[in-house]
Amino acid sequence: MPAVQETIEQVRTLDVDQYKYGFQTDIESEKAPKGLSEDIIRLISQKKGEPEWMLQWRLEAYKRWLSMEEPDWARVSYPKIDFQDIHYYAAPKSFKEGPKSLDEVDPEILKTYEKLGIPLKEQEILAGVRRADEPSQLNGDSDDDISEAPYGKGRVAVDAVFDSVSVATTFKNELKKAGVIFMPISEAIREHPELVKKYIGSVVPQGDNYYAALNSAVFTDGSFVFVPKGVRCPMELSTYFRINEQNTGQFERTLIIAEEGAYVSYLEGCTAPQRDENQLHAAVVELIAMDDAEIKYSTVQNWYPGDKEGKGGIYNFVTKRGDCRGARSHISWTQVETGSAITWKYPSCILRGDDSRGEFYSIAVSNGHQQIDSGTKMIHIGKNTTSRIISKGISAGNSQNTYRGQVSVLRKAGDARNFTQCDSLLIGNECGAHTVPYIEAKNASARLEHEATTSKISEDQLFYVMQRGIPEEEAIALIVNGFVKDVIQELPMEFAVEAQKLIGISLEGSVG
Amino acid sequence: MTAHTLIKNTQAESALIDAFAKSIDTLPGAATTTTARKTAIGGISTRGLPTRRVEEWHYTDLRNRLKTVPEGDARASGDALNALAEGIARIDLFDGNVPSDLPTGVQVTHLRDLLERGELDRSLAPADPEDVIGALNAAFVSHGAALTIDAGAKLDKPLELSASHGPGQAHLRVPVSVGADVEATIVERQTGEGAAFVTGVVDLTVGDDANVLWVLVQEQAVDTDQLTQMKFRLGKNARLTLAILNAGGRLVRHEIRGVLEGEGGDFQMRCVNLLGGESHVDVTMVLDHIVPNTTGTEIVRNIATGKASGVFQGQIRVAKEAQKTDARMACNTLLVSDEADFSAKPELEIFADDVACGHGATVAEIDEAHLFYLMSRGIPENRARALLVKAFVAEILEELDHEAISEALVSKVDDWFSKNG
Repeated sequence: MPAVQETIEQVRTLDVDQYKYGFQTDIESEKAPKGLSEDIIRLISQKKGEPEWMLQWRLEAYKRWLSMEEPDWARVSYPKIDFQDIHYYAAPKSFKEGPKSLDEVDPEILKTYEKLGIPLKEQEILAGVRRADEPSQLNGDSDDDISEAPYGKGRVAVDAVFDSVSVATTFKNELKKAGVIFMPISEAIREHPELVKKYIGSVVPQGDNYYAALNSAVFTDGSFVFVPKGVRCPMELSTYFRINEQNTGQFERTLIIAEEGAYVSYLEGCTAPQRDENQLHAAVVELIAMDDAEIKYSTVQNWYPGDKEGKGGIYNFVTKRGDCRGARSHISWTQVETGSAITWKYPSCILRGDDSRGEFYSIAVSNGHQQIDSGTKMIHIGKNTTSRIISKGISAGNSQNTYRGQVSVLRKAGDARNFTQCDSLLIGNECGAHTVPYIEAKNASARLEHEATTSKISEDQLFYVMQRGIPEEEAIALIVNGFVKDVIQELPMEFAVEAQKLIGISLEGSVG
Repeated sequence: MTAHTLIKNTQAESALIDAFAKSIDTLPGAATTTTARKTAIGGISTRGLPTRRVEEWHYTDLRNRLKTVPEGDARASGDALNALAEGIARIDLFDGNVPSDLPTGVQVTHLRDLLERGELDRSLAPADPEDVIGALNAAFVSHGAALTIDAGAKLDKPLELSASHGPGQAHLRVPVSVGADVEATIVERQTGEGAAFVTGVVDLTVGDDANVLWVLVQEQAVDTDQLTQMKFRLGKNARLTLAILNAGGRLVRHEIRGVLEGEGGDFQMRCVNLLGGESHVDVTMVLDHIVPNTTGTEIVRNIATGKASGVFQGQIRVAKEAQKTDARMACNTLLVSDEADFSAKPELEIFADDVACGHGATVAEIDEAHLFYLMSRGIPENRARALLVKAFVAEILEELDHEAISEALVSKVDDWFSKNG
């Protein structure tokens, strides 16, 4: 089989040093001293101008964290993290006061985002950004009635987070008109404390797990989204996270609430510079969907994966959980995981409301020395709840790629339904693909289906495509694209294109 | 908490440790065997029995579930038990008595003799810290028989290994060595009566080109807790078909730890778990494909009624060298009662790229279309439902290579339904 042989050869020569977001931006920044203590937490809280209850909440989490042990059940291995060797707070110096407009943002940072291809500056939004000394133009930037504006007009509201600080949020005013609150969580704690207080930690409690506890103690920024009753969020919301500073950890906290009948689609993207050391990213994302609400959460995770020797890269230890609290609510997770040295991530749905629905679509691509242990949990509590899991894992190089998922139907969850499909594709024989599903049924009317396959690219398929005159590399790319199609089509348009490109880059040399 | 910290032992743990202290001087074995036994129990007394926090025991929290361990040797005569089918040569594992009609090519040795000579010391060591069944059995094992089947032997009748116990403890071990090119059918019966605690280990080596059908029938009483294990290694082009019928017991765990060591090896498993009452039955399999061109198919069918809980954990591991592995696993469950539950964990761990591996797991109700079909032919709903439930498990037992044994197993399924239907 020359085709297979060639593929393997290509993987061998594969250079993973192709991370195109690996630049560093030189800006002056202000960092808290290394290490973690109550004082550091107090400092973070003070920098963010937080009320006392928030500080107490953090300290409580810190106390829990101290009593917990680092989990070791995931199929990943890495040297022990020295939690005292990390800066828990880093902010670009120029925004000590917090930017009021994009023009106040350090041009270096804007350049960074431009390199990342974030539509911060190039769009018409920018024209509307007021100067510091001018009245805001955004307030009157459009006469369109937002409620009638067609959804998905191609505009995306972006919140950009640089190390520990949110640097810019666009379309804020337009969203405000629709009643949608979209702002950095640190701002929300100041401006909407009652909302934050009510919902934070209600899905992922402070002591949920080791990294969630750490995050609860030291989280620095992230997004807060509140979509009130009956509102369909007029545009896609998006956040870009970037770790820039050396030896810093990023602890993002995102909280999204969709009230009765609301709808919101949220996209998240991440990158980091290329470095020899490992950096920690421990995020917590909480989603809450009330009756008839729908939240669609998409991630393109492209943290720096380390070099081809497995040196450096981000440790991505993330807790993401959605709570379908209301009847007929619907939460959908879509993720494209191509980055990070180590990924430990299980976006989950608690299907509490009757007739609620949870979905998880995932593409996890690992190459080089990456280790991915990712999957989902679907906890069926309410009646007639349904869940759907589609997971596509592609392993190449020396990587390990594990799907770990749980489907649990509790005693009272009558007529629960689940469909799970996880397929793994192996490219080369130095990598591993693993599937670890947990299927638990406690109700006789449950109907659960789980299917998993592991294989290489089928010779038949490859032969079929190639005999139609398509060169091998393209043929493999075509088949891989077909393999992940079920998931790609769940992504919003702009992301789908980016995701496909990313998968291409991640596997470059092995599948073109 | 470090491994050295002494935990507070549960009632069952204390009973096991006490029983060991009382019996160690009388248990058969060389001096080295006694050392091996002490090491084995030492792990249990320092770590305690595994809880759900131990991944391998996630669904069977042994520490909580094993409430008591009765005292005394449960040895009893197996005379009351009929052979599974006509024309089977029976070996009693308690007394090691060999039937006069033992097929040629089969040698049976008392386990006691092997223990006294210290010949089992190495195989007594537990495989890993999670190998609690291996450890418990190593500590206490006193009964059993070693079987050797000469190369080239084609057994003219099946062998049946039985150890029908009474109340108390029974700890059995059966090392089996099947030579090259052998054809054999072996039936293992697990049954008895009275409050009992039973451990058992079958250690099977199948030689090149041999073909073995191993049938395990577990019909323990509702007050018997049983922890058993089958370890096997398959040689080149060897084939092992393992048929399991679980239809009894209170707390039951059966582990299968298999390695396909020779190219062309094939492992087939057909497992039916009939779970009723308040029983907890756990079938846990770890199958290693370590050389190229091996195949395996495991089909597990479960019916859970009453307040029963069932577990199937199946892990298929394909090593880097094991190219062209074809591994399939399916676990299908019918939950008949709202108070029953079932948990499945079908795992794939793949390091070779040129493989075809897959697993499927379902939990479902009876197919409404099938039910409708039968009812439209005048069969009342209750009867139609019963037919379908039975067919769901019986179909995988009907295709075994030994007709009389297949029939006997299906009639055991019938018996179970008449008691639990």
